[in-house]
Amino acid sequence: MFSDSEIAKAAEVQVYKGVYYDLQSRPIEGGLLDPRMGPPNKSGKCATCDGSFGDCPGHYGYLPLVLPVYNVGYLSTILDILKCICKSCSRILLDDKLAKDYLKKMRAPKTEPLKKAEIMKSVVKKCTAMAGGKAVKCSRCGYLNGTVKKAPKMIGVFHDRSKVNDNSLEELKSAISHTKESKSSINTSSVLNPVKVLSLFKRMTDVDCELLYLSDRPEKFIITNIAVPPTAIRPSVPVDGSQSNENDITERLKRIIQANSSLRQQLVDSNAAFHCLNGWDLLQVDVAQYINSDVRGVPTEMQPARPLSGFLQRLKGKQGRFRGNLSGKRVEFTGRTVISPDPNLKITEVAIPIHMARILSYPERVSSHNIEKLRQCVRNGPSKYPGAVKVRYPDGSARLLIGDYRKRLADELKFGCIVDRHLEDGDIVLFNRQPSLHRMSIMCHRARIMPWRTLRFNESVCNPYNADFDGDEMNMHVPQTEEARTEALMLMGVQNNLCTPKNGEVLVASTQDFLTSSFLITRRDTFYDRATFSLICSYMGDAMDLIDLPTPTLLKPVELWTGKQLFNVLLRPHASVRVYLNLTVKERNYSRKIAKRIGDKEIEVETMCPNDGFVYIRNSELICGQLGKATLGNGNKDGLYSILLRDYNAHAAATCMNRLAKMSARWIGNHGFSIGIDDVQPGKRLNDAKGVTLSGNYKKCDEQIQMFNEGKLQLKPGCDAAQTLEANITEVLNKIRDETGKVCMRELHWRNSPLIMSQCGSKGSAINISQMIACVGQQSVGGRRAPNGFIDRSLPHFHRGSKTPAAKGFVANSFYSGLTATEFFFHTMGGREGLVDTAVKTAETGYMSRRLIKALEDLSIHYDNTCRNASGCIVQFIYGDDGMDPASMEGKSGFPLNFDRLLMKVKATCPPVDQKYLPADAIPQMLEEQVVKHDPDGVCSEAFKKSLKGFLEGQKNELKRVMQLVSNSAQKSEILEDVSHKICGITDRQLEVFIRICIGRYRSKVIEAGTAIGAIGAQSIGEPGTQMTLKTFHFAGVASMRVPRIKEIINAAKKISTPIITAELEFDSNVNVARMVKGRIEKTVLGQVAKSIKIVMTSRLASVVISLDMERILDAQLHIDANVVKESILLTPKLKLKEQHVKVLDVKKLEVVPPADRSRIHFELHSLKNLLPLVVVKGIKTVERVVIAEKKKDNKSLNKEAKKLYQLFVEGMGLQTVMGVEGIDGRKTMSNHVMEMLQILGIEAARSCIINEIAATMASHGMSIDIRHMMLLGDVMTFRGEVLGITRFGIQKMDKSILMLASFEKTGDHLFNASVNGRDDKIEGVTECIIMGIPMQLGTGILKVMQR
Amino acid sequence: MSNLILFEDIFVVDKLDPDGKKFDKVTRIEARSQNCDMFMHLDVNTEIYPMHVGDKFTMALAHTLNLDGTPDTGYFNPGRKSLADKYEYVMHGKLYKISDDSSGKGLKAEIYVSYGGLLMLLRGEASHVSHFELDQRLFLLIRKL
Repeated sequence: MFSDSEIAKAAEVQVYKGVYYDLQSRPIEGGLLDPRMGPPNKSGKCATCDGSFGDCPGHYGYLPLVLPVYNVGYLSTILDILKCICKSCSRILLDDKLAKDYLKKMRAPKTEPLKKAEIMKSVVKKCTAMAGGKAVKCSRCGYLNGTVKKAPKMIGVFHDRSKVNDNSLEELKSAISHTKESKSSINTSSVLNPVKVLSLFKRMTDVDCELLYLSDRPEKFIITNIAVPPTAIRPSVPVDGSQSNENDITERLKRIIQANSSLRQQLVDSNAAFHCLNGWDLLQVDVAQYINSDVRGVPTEMQPARPLSGFLQRLKGKQGRFRGNLSGKRVEFTGRTVISPDPNLKITEVAIPIHMARILSYPERVSSHNIEKLRQCVRNGPSKYPGAVKVRYPDGSARLLIGDYRKRLADELKFGCIVDRHLEDGDIVLFNRQPSLHRMSIMCHRARIMPWRTLRFNESVCNPYNADFDGDEMNMHVPQTEEARTEALMLMGVQNNLCTPKNGEVLVASTQDFLTSSFLITRRDTFYDRATFSLICSYMGDAMDLIDLPTPTLLKPVELWTGKQLFNVLLRPHASVRVYLNLTVKERNYSRKIAKRIGDKEIEVETMCPNDGFVYIRNSELICGQLGKATLGNGNKDGLYSILLRDYNAHAAATCMNRLAKMSARWIGNHGFSIGIDDVQPGKRLNDAKGVTLSGNYKKCDEQIQMFNEGKLQLKPGCDAAQTLEANITEVLNKIRDETGKVCMRELHWRNSPLIMSQCGSKGSAINISQMIACVGQQSVGGRRAPNGFIDRSLPHFHRGSKTPAAKGFVANSFYSGLTATEFFFHTMGGREGLVDTAVKTAETGYMSRRLIKALEDLSIHYDNTCRNASGCIVQFIYGDDGMDPASMEGKSGFPLNFDRLLMKVKATCPPVDQKYLPADAIPQMLEEQVVKHDPDGVCSEAFKKSLKGFLEGQKNELKRVMQLVSNSAQKSEILEDVSHKICGITDRQLEVFIRICIGRYRSKVIEAGTAIGAIGAQSIGEPGTQMTLKTFHFAGVASMRVPRIKEIINAAKKISTPIITAELEFDSNVNVARMVKGRIEKTVLGQVAKSIKIVMTSRLASVVISLDMERILDAQLHIDANVVKESILLTPKLKLKEQHVKVLDVKKLEVVPPADRSRIHFELHSLKNLLPLVVVKGIKTVERVVIAEKKKDNKSLNKEAKKLYQLFVEGMGLQTVMGVEGIDGRKTMSNHVMEMLQILGIEAARSCIINEIAATMASHGMSIDIRHMMLLGDVMTFRGEVLGITRFGIQKMDKSILMLASFEKTGDHLFNASVNGRDDKIEGVTECIIMGIPMQLGTGILKVMQR
Repeated sequence: MSNLILFEDIFVVDKLDPDGKKFDKVTRIEARSQNCDMFMHLDVNTEIYPMHVGDKFTMALAHTLNLDGTPDTGYFNPGRKSLADKYEYVMHGKLYKISDDSSGKGLKAEIYVSYGGLLMLLRGEASHVSHFELDQRLFLLIRKL
């Protein structure tokens, strides 16, 4: 902050004229564009430093104000200070001892800025509390201070002394009693004008300033001199000769000069009272708007028609300096155009149009290897591809290659020159599609220069970009140095980003047509003769690869190869390719038939699946199964590409993808695949089946409706009759669509294109097919059936109150048969909801992602395995509790390895030739030995070792079981033993290899130090948010939410829309006990348990008599009697009844005598009669309802224990009281409300609540996210000891730097506060480093070279 | 010659497509052997080699088609005399799984062979299948009787 004298000293010129140019359009001296503040345009020169427009940095001017005004940015600080100091002697209002205490705290070296701000707030609070709405006497001068407030509707401060009881008021009154004004009340509150405040501030002691956390003198908060910024930052643009367009700031300054001079005039002219000066207020407003143009408190008549932006407007917002220019910058060497697919490109390539390649360039240094190439480039020049734009010489000079001297330059080209040549094949480019939701949205490809005008890439890479070819455009950037290129290739290369760190699934995988053709090729009845087979083989490698033709499957009567053998060639074209792939996948059309049972275990048909839905690849040979999305597509951890990636490397997976893309694109081009009207024509059988399903289910609905009308409907837990009916009907109707879908899948011919696509997973599902062919199904609006737009009916085509399927939006027709008018209307209702939802959702989730990123961006892994933020605070001691990288997790639910698959691979690749099989009991012993051998320094976590042990134990038991069978049958045991070993034995060599691979892999999966795990986590949680469709969906009557729920958790909202307490019962096997406990929790009002509530009037007294329905109470086991009711009546504050008014007559009767006089007793009685039934006699008030639910059983107990276990779902708040209810196991009872968990169970409980709730919400939408990301989020929200939401308030408290906060939200507030408090910024966080343009302390920047 | 053939028996087709017809050209046959009481599921290309319920055929499994017993080279040379001459339908494939079936008493074994995606399941007494190895290349030879 500058004081007025400092401003004057720094300035070159005093600005006092509100004018720009003279008639010759030269800037006027002393005007706003004075040439001493820098050249006004390109032609001018600076009058101070004689620099040109480009060189002169600009110089300040100053503008002295006649009277001081407040700086709006500091108005709240000024207010706080005024609250704390005596308005007479400028000392702090606290007494000496208290002040000393606070000072001590403030000066303690360990006090963080956040804490200091808190102390300051408490000082302010203390001072205002001392005033207590009245007066406070200054302990030093004895002046009575009133309360200080911000003046309404103006920029100023009020000092309200109306409640000050000194005798000055009386004195005053008596003094003016003889005048006319005495009758009117005297306004004792006065506006504290800036002059007064300035003098107060000037007298403040430095110690008091320190106490108020002011790093500088407070008089600087008041403006007396305005620094006029140099013209460089407020350029003046001349428009057609004489006119010029001035910057907003210049115009603001002009207004200030005008206001200033008119104020000066007023001062000279009138000797009016000081504060009556109208001009002063005007000046204040103008100066305020100069700083912040949408400042509050500007009188409406002073607001200009066109808002001119102030300084604050330049900084804040998305387009502002912070977010628009400092955090993100415009760049050169970029391109953007429409994208299109090209399966002939490799997945790592991108085709760049020649037009683009001629404009984009890369500076290549001339060396002996490339001199001839570069000479040719230079000769070709900028317009002929492959050419060059520019040559730079080692001495720093450069020549553009336009002109005839190109040839000479080419000949003179020397080593060490740099040629800016056109882009060529193999150059490294970054490729990006907005919205960039995760790091795979910008990846590094290699360029392929191609004709035509689109950017092209392999369809397999659509997934990470979320791109399609319906007109999408994408951006491209060319890194300009070798360092940038290598870093881009290593970190952002497509090959190194095949799988997502969200959960370790592959993202780059075959899609759409590739899946369809693979599915068709691998059908069990595709056979090819020698010519065709060889042709297709040559498709996959452009006939350039060496290929071993396999032995035909059918040798006789004709030589035929199957389609599956094509895949053998694809996976391992030649014997020298050492890729031995082993995997099993269950495809979508796997039948899940049970083949046999062993003991109580059911063995599925697996490979013998009649639909050929079980994919088994053994040593790169496709044994069985029709390949579809599960094997080749994305989103599966056991798919072909993920296994290639894990067992071999990214290159193996990439080449396989390339081969498949080429083969299938060419194959399907020859085979043909299209869809026509006959594909969606239902056959007769299908129509009949649909008719039967429809009429059957309609009948069921009618029955339900009839039962409802007769009142016989069996109620569902927690629902009333109407809700139950809705739930039942919805269930029936939803079933129709599923059933018709199944019928379609069964009845359609296998050549039906939609059927093929849905089966292989390339596009569409059974529901889509069913909608086209059979029945569109129920339309829902807001998760319900179509609402009533008219009185008691959805449309006037139906009867009032009609609840039939057709009247509530059931569409029985298919898209083929055509919709009726009403059906069409309902369909549009559903469609509109979807559209509105997507539009709203994008903005909402985008903001959520931004907040998440801002909160987590600086978290990274350090070399001690801790996860810390930029300032070094530990957030997690070991990342994710085990320090593993979520991107390389192979097993289910984030487990590092999939043992079953690995053992299968080891057994297949390591054949038991000449090896001895281990006896069952030797397995655990060998494990111990091997673990010690391969993991001597104990990198593997105990949990991992334990699971490995558990897995081998299972293998041991299996072997034992088979050996048992051998010993049972009494014949030729040696042969049998041999066979049984072949069945499930394991050799010592195999076991050793297995354990070595397990441990070796585990160690390679440990997360690397420097990983920006915070940003990854934020993206992993933010990105799926955008995919969540439809806000609500109803699940068995209980509404569960999607995006809004995640928002609630992340915001740490105090009030959530669906608080649910999951309560465990002490005796969970008995329904009756559950009902009893439910009764205790659920609130029971008097009206429910009273037989009657009557007004009794006798001659002596009038009262309300309540008689209880004891039968009912006993039935529900509620333990209520008259005494309990009396208690609860007395506890209800609304009734205002006292002990003596309620009389217990007997166990089930009581009498209430209202305390009123005779005249109003009648009204009192009636109001009591109305209020009493609502008195809560039992249960928890905050609870809405309680639902008894059956517990989900785990698979283990499925067979034997058929006993049902129950738990309670309590809707509402009040965890503590629920835990205390008799019959509830308080130790296992939890709420989904984070803040309540924090209050009652503490911070660790809140953390696990956050983690569990996010996981549950994501899982309910079928999205798997690695638990480690959610753990990190939970830890960030709780590591300060309180739950901090990911909102502007929470992030502020997370120990972040000012620049980061300023670039997030509330830019101005943070900057002004920082200047008041004298904050410094160490520039260690991500945002700060980006703003400053220096490498940040994470990722590759975590290391520095030590200089000796 | 007997050492060429790992297994040979006469089977009778019991059923075609036990789980319903799924494919046009390929039929899964369920057959039972007469001598060893073996049970078999086999996918056969019925477009070029039709089969019907009640058909009686002899089925053999061999390492190689070379009559001298030299191992299979992987190349097919039609001119030479081979084991295939005596049979009408010959497939080549790989044994990929041996498992047990303990539904009954004693140890029953199952061997699974894939002929380029056409599968075979052979179930019977363990002693009959003891000389099969995992990952063994096998030729299936069929002749109708």
